[in-house]
Amino acid sequence: MVSVHRPTRGYRVFQGVNGVILTLVVVVTLYPFVNIIARSFSGERHIRAGEVTLWPQGFNLTTYEIVFQDSMFWRNYGNTVLYTVVSTVVAMVLTTCYAYVLSKKHLKGRSALVGIAVFTMFFTGGLIPNYVLITSLGMKNTIWALAIPNAISVFNLLVMKAFFESLPTELEEAAQIDGLNTYGTLLRIVLPLSKAVVATMVLFYSVSFWNSWFGAFLYMDKAELMPATVYLRNLIAGATTGGNAGAGTEQLSQAAANIQAVTIVLTSLPILCVYPFVQRYFVSGVMLGAVKG
Amino acid sequence: MKNAGQLSRRQVLAAAGFIGLATLTGCGSGEDGGDAKDLSKKQNGAMKNYRAGQQFKAAKPLSFPMLHNNNPVYPMKNSWLFWKELTKRTGVTLEPIGVPLSDYEKKRSVMIGAGDAPFLIPKTYHPSEVAFVSSGAILPVSEYVDLMPNFRAKVKKWAMEPELDSIRQSDGKYYLLPGLHEKPKPGYSLALRTDVLDKLGLSLPTTWDEVYDVFKAIKAEYPDRYPFSDRWSTNTTFPVGALHSYLGQAFGVRAGWTYENISWDPKGKKFVFTGATDGYRQVIEYLRKLVAEKLMDPESFTQTDDDAIQKLLGEKTFAISANPQELVQNYRYNLEKQVKGAKIEMVPVPLGPAGPVVLGGSRLENGVMISSEALKSANFVAMMQFVDWLWYSDEGQEFSKWGVKGVTYTESGGQYELADGITLMGSDPEAPKDLQKDYGFFNGVFTYGGSWALVSSSFSPDEKKFQAAMAQRSQLPIAPAHPLQSVEQEQASLWDTPLRDHVTQNMLKFALGKRRLSEWDAYVSELKAKNMDRLVDLHNKAYERFKKENG
Repeated sequence: MVSVHRPTRGYRVFQGVNGVILTLVVVVTLYPFVNIIARSFSGERHIRAGEVTLWPQGFNLTTYEIVFQDSMFWRNYGNTVLYTVVSTVVAMVLTTCYAYVLSKKHLKGRSALVGIAVFTMFFTGGLIPNYVLITSLGMKNTIWALAIPNAISVFNLLVMKAFFESLPTELEEAAQIDGLNTYGTLLRIVLPLSKAVVATMVLFYSVSFWNSWFGAFLYMDKAELMPATVYLRNLIAGATTGGNAGAGTEQLSQAAANIQAVTIVLTSLPILCVYPFVQRYFVSGVMLGAVKG
Repeated sequence: MKNAGQLSRRQVLAAAGFIGLATLTGCGSGEDGGDAKDLSKKQNGAMKNYRAGQQFKAAKPLSFPMLHNNNPVYPMKNSWLFWKELTKRTGVTLEPIGVPLSDYEKKRSVMIGAGDAPFLIPKTYHPSEVAFVSSGAILPVSEYVDLMPNFRAKVKKWAMEPELDSIRQSDGKYYLLPGLHEKPKPGYSLALRTDVLDKLGLSLPTTWDEVYDVFKAIKAEYPDRYPFSDRWSTNTTFPVGALHSYLGQAFGVRAGWTYENISWDPKGKKFVFTGATDGYRQVIEYLRKLVAEKLMDPESFTQTDDDAIQKLLGEKTFAISANPQELVQNYRYNLEKQVKGAKIEMVPVPLGPAGPVVLGGSRLENGVMISSEALKSANFVAMMQFVDWLWYSDEGQEFSKWGVKGVTYTESGGQYELADGITLMGSDPEAPKDLQKDYGFFNGVFTYGGSWALVSSSFSPDEKKFQAAMAQRSQLPIAPAHPLQSVEQEQASLWDTPLRDHVTQNMLKFALGKRRLSEWDAYVSELKAKNMDRLVDLHNKAYERFKKENG
């Protein structure tokens, strides 16, 4: 029995070392991002001379103005929001239903249904067969090409299933005695009790949809249908292949110096703002699934 | 018992999955397009007697789908004058499928692999078309160039047959319509701070020995700095790709960006392994000397372009690799703002033991692949004529480069002037409109090769000077055709990559002084252990075979 009040010396040393290591890890992971933010607000001279580290040098907003005026960026940004919201809604509905059904022990063929899902975790048809499938279903250039194929993440599904299994069956039996049917039980009893896991899943799904680019790149044929991630990726590729044409005026050469930093800040900002608020559900949500196993 | 049951169900599931996969992949091979050479039923919209120098105009409105590489510098717009004017002149509407430049190759291979490729697939660099040849998805265009009078006229006029032979496959056909240049257009060389040279009483170097002397003199003045720090080391399989390439040229070898494992030895009339040649050793020796005497920054081989440029702008270094665009827009423009009195100049590629030469084969550019599906279309002949006009006729090339005469540009006596209020790559910073962004001309998808007059019509003063000097040099001999058969191709690519990696790794070791040059023989025997000789034999055999079969 270790005393609760007085941690041993070894434990304190451990905590100290732990703290130092974790602080280092935080610094290492945070530095690039802080640097990007600093660059996005810095003047061109200082960026080119490599003077910008943690704090903006020669404060400058020209590039932000230029990006704000680019209608294609906003169009793609709007696409990102739309794709993320719709895809997350679709994914949540399908994953919740699937997970709830799987959590019922008396379901016939349950292990086969789990097997089908798990199978896709290990094997995929491959890029070209998938492309052929989506194309022949006529989903190209529509939002469904992004929402449907990614609607069920098997990992999320299993976490949710484990969570539902951990709910006491007595609750649902009581609900049935009081006259609720299956859907009523799910909507009025189970879901309100599962806010933690639902919030976690919404976060998982929305972050992954927000950041994804490959699906859109593959299935969309027009620039105005692309999400902001593809816009950004193309911008960076264009800048590194030396296609930086147009740097001739003060304004444009300022833009050439930090347009990447500015767009990175603008695209990661919303998801960064959401994160802290969902964070508390997030920790408990993942834990809850894990205990049951 | 229960467990056993579950297991077998999973097995059934897995088996079903595999069968599904197998069926899907099996679908890939398409059927033959019937009698390919009978084009009488594919004349819809075509011109009867289409000749070189004639305006192509489709007999009825046609449209062709085309893959379009979206450059972020000039994002594609449907409102471009280019599309409208093209339809007006030719009666053809192009239906562009926009693909971001960042991942153009990836989407192209998926679409071709899935049988969903549009008819026209431009912006393809040889040898990336080779990967699609065996699947039959890409048309052997050499069979149909008789439909393309402008293409044939240019090949004949500029004597480009040997170059075309170099892209033929083992069946003797080529699958890519390459861009054609009248003259090779070398783009990269060394740029030096001329104000610093003036201060030290040095003149611009013309040979690599003089480059060494100039660096030495700069080092004597600034002992704590590196005279030279280079770029183009990231996003490439070869560090300092540009420098390697133009330095190698002076020694008569293909190095850096232009490196290929196999190169042609015109004296011995056979193929040899590039990384084991004496010329290649001399290139490495030269780099090693620069690094060892601290004349060249060893970080050159690993740093990003931005880092290299920052060193130049921060006056930590005084020389860097350049092309005319980078020189003007990136180095000079920023240097003048940051360093008082700074001047920077690009020299014609310094000469070496190989004398005044440029690498051969550089007259071919990226080009257009055509999907095999196009051959089934009734509009096939018209499409080939259209491609011929747009990409290969003088009028078509002038149109896609400069636009509409009197609207976007004026021309007299071979001098092209942009119309008032139009800028091109920063030529007139005050102009409200941009030839690329707002009109869609000078688009890399359509504009590259052509006559020297046309290609040089857009050169900046710096580039004119550079190209005028380079135009005096003669072309190194081109490797003769030596196409591999598909089994050989597979074998060759298995050997190619490890060999190439070994060459790169050891180039770095030798240049940075991590390995002694006396170990060169050991290095060559390591290459032999990685099948160097067998690879060379394979290519020499293919060369003999092709010579025997095709004369």
